[in-house]
Amino acid sequence: MDMILSFLTVFTQPELLLLVGLGTFAGVYVGAIPGLSVTMAVSILISFTFSWDVYPAISLMIGIYMGGVYGGSRTAILLNIPGAPSAIATAMDGYPMAKRGEAGTAIGVTTVMSFFGGFIGILVLALAAPAVSSFALSFQPRDYMLLAVLGILLVGSLSTGSLLKGIFAGAFGIAIGAVGMDPLTYTPRFTFDLPLLRGGISFIAVMIGMFGVSEALLQLHNVNTAAVRQKITRIVPSWSTIRKHLPLSLQTSSIGVVIGALPGTGGDIAALMAYDHAKRVTKNPERPFGEGAIEGLVAPETANNAAVGGAFIPMLTLGIPGDAVTAIMIGALYIHGLNPGPMLMIDRPEMFGFIVGALISANFFMLIFGLTGIRLFTKIVEMPRSVLIPLIMLLSIVGAYAVNNSITDVYWMLGFGVLGYFMRLYGYPLGPVILGVILSRLLDENWRRAIISEREDLGRFFGGIFSSPLSLVLFAAVILVFVTQTPIWSWFKRKVFGKSTPQKDAQ
Amino acid sequence: MSDSDTEYQDHHEGTSDATPGGYDDARRPGEALFAVLLVVASFALLWNAYGISGFRALSAPGSVPMATAAIMVITSAIVLFRTLRLPKVTSESLSRDILPMTVIVLALMLVAYGVLLRPLGFLPTSALFLIGAVKFLSHRSWLFTLTVSLGSLALIWVVFRIVFTVLMPAGIMPEAEFMQFLRDLFSGGTN
Repeated sequence: MDMILSFLTVFTQPELLLLVGLGTFAGVYVGAIPGLSVTMAVSILISFTFSWDVYPAISLMIGIYMGGVYGGSRTAILLNIPGAPSAIATAMDGYPMAKRGEAGTAIGVTTVMSFFGGFIGILVLALAAPAVSSFALSFQPRDYMLLAVLGILLVGSLSTGSLLKGIFAGAFGIAIGAVGMDPLTYTPRFTFDLPLLRGGISFIAVMIGMFGVSEALLQLHNVNTAAVRQKITRIVPSWSTIRKHLPLSLQTSSIGVVIGALPGTGGDIAALMAYDHAKRVTKNPERPFGEGAIEGLVAPETANNAAVGGAFIPMLTLGIPGDAVTAIMIGALYIHGLNPGPMLMIDRPEMFGFIVGALISANFFMLIFGLTGIRLFTKIVEMPRSVLIPLIMLLSIVGAYAVNNSITDVYWMLGFGVLGYFMRLYGYPLGPVILGVILSRLLDENWRRAIISEREDLGRFFGGIFSSPLSLVLFAAVILVFVTQTPIWSWFKRKVFGKSTPQKDAQ
Repeated sequence: MSDSDTEYQDHHEGTSDATPGGYDDARRPGEALFAVLLVVASFALLWNAYGISGFRALSAPGSVPMATAAIMVITSAIVLFRTLRLPKVTSESLSRDILPMTVIVLALMLVAYGVLLRPLGFLPTSALFLIGAVKFLSHRSWLFTLTVSLGSLALIWVVFRIVFTVLMPAGIMPEAEFMQFLRDLFSGGTN
């Protein structure tokens, strides 16, 4: 009962509804403008909203998250530049459609399908989270530890990049998170005897640096890319188009939810996997993929918005983020004195209902803003990057400074910005770093708890893993991630499946 | 489609974790040096982690740091080994694709911002930064530069100072007096 009432919170308080709407509106543009990403926006916002109450702060962030994941598709279609990472797959067929003069149809289909995917994601969240949460109460410390490790590994293994670099990035994040005084024994760790490091490194500074400044520096490479105008006609897609792609959109939404719910992997990976899936299951597309197939829009756009709801599942039930944005939201909840994890659903059930309500309203706002305001949109997107980039940098500095009123944090932020810049250029994923920073403490504490309860005996620790089905599954998943990276796996796949069936096996 | 478009499509820039930057089969300018630096830094961390509590116990405060630092050393070493064996990318140069002048200049401007923020205060420092950066990047007229930078700075200040109530260093600006003036103005209007 409480849950249902709290679900209505956002609808009964006009102020909150307004913030969700404002957030979604801003999110659509943040997502659409190349160089501004949702992760960046949310990590900068966390430092500005920390003096607010929890509900308004979360409302705004959820709006930006939902709108931003969708917004990237617009620029992908109109300019062939994905406005946000989750829209990379959308450009492959969206831009060819726009070139044929079908930009309006493409945007319309994208919007409706994003709404559909988003809704499926929220539905699964609403139904699955309470179950997962009560199940999570039986999690042992070692299970948390294994889940954290799995989450950090998954980004590296499901992306096209190198797993080794992903593991490095994750370990680096854990190390950053460990800097400072150990909370259990008050021993200094990684402080290099500098008083400056005793308090640890502000994770907000790390996030803003990695996702704000480094992205802005990277965008300097194509500061003078001019925007191309497209003519847009009909937006609202016909019912027959929607109905025809309903089966596919259900499949790709499920891919989105699952990838979103896996710790660490978010909308960008979900979209690429869904696109691959659509390519395999669509027997006779009206046009070949890559030349303007509608299926090539439906798949990534349903998946990336479905991943939003999915990403909240592990975040709210286990305290383990589903992707980089939820990692930052966990940070926001910590700042507001909440402790995401299985106890959150028991202690603060209204929080869960509220988040589901806010997500649903954000989804509706996204549909409304998606089907209107195209003219204003083309104006804003044409804002020159030579103005945009300095503004992002300024906001990053203000954001890093504002949390602790500390210049040191600004320097940390700039340092991590430069480091993140090189990491991006050389193919080191940044998601695992943030995941590592957020999960560092959880991993450390649960490892120590687990090993103490096994009387410091590694043999007993592994014995424990093999005696519990859950730990065993998680442990097997961790091993599987490594096995899939070796030649043995592709040999095995050829042997079993006859020919290669990419990626889906990794789920 | 212009060249810059196709370049973007190649995703060697690492805007997303799903398609990180770099190449699978070639090494970018400076990549080997970066890999070496990571190995060295990882060793320094491992050394430091060992100093936390040594091999005292599996549950000691230093165990997880030592394990992570060890993983960093191993992975960065393998990455270095693999990177060194790859051929260089022939079409890229350090000064054009990795560290163009614009990136270096903007990075230095950011550092200068950090240095000046406390003594000068938020508004003057930001104004200098925005005017300098916009002028440098856009090569547009001074009128354009000044209007855009000061206009957006005013907007940012209003949004963050008043909506988000973020306090930035006032420095040489009489900000408190100005806020009081605004308050008087508005309370005067309501009375």
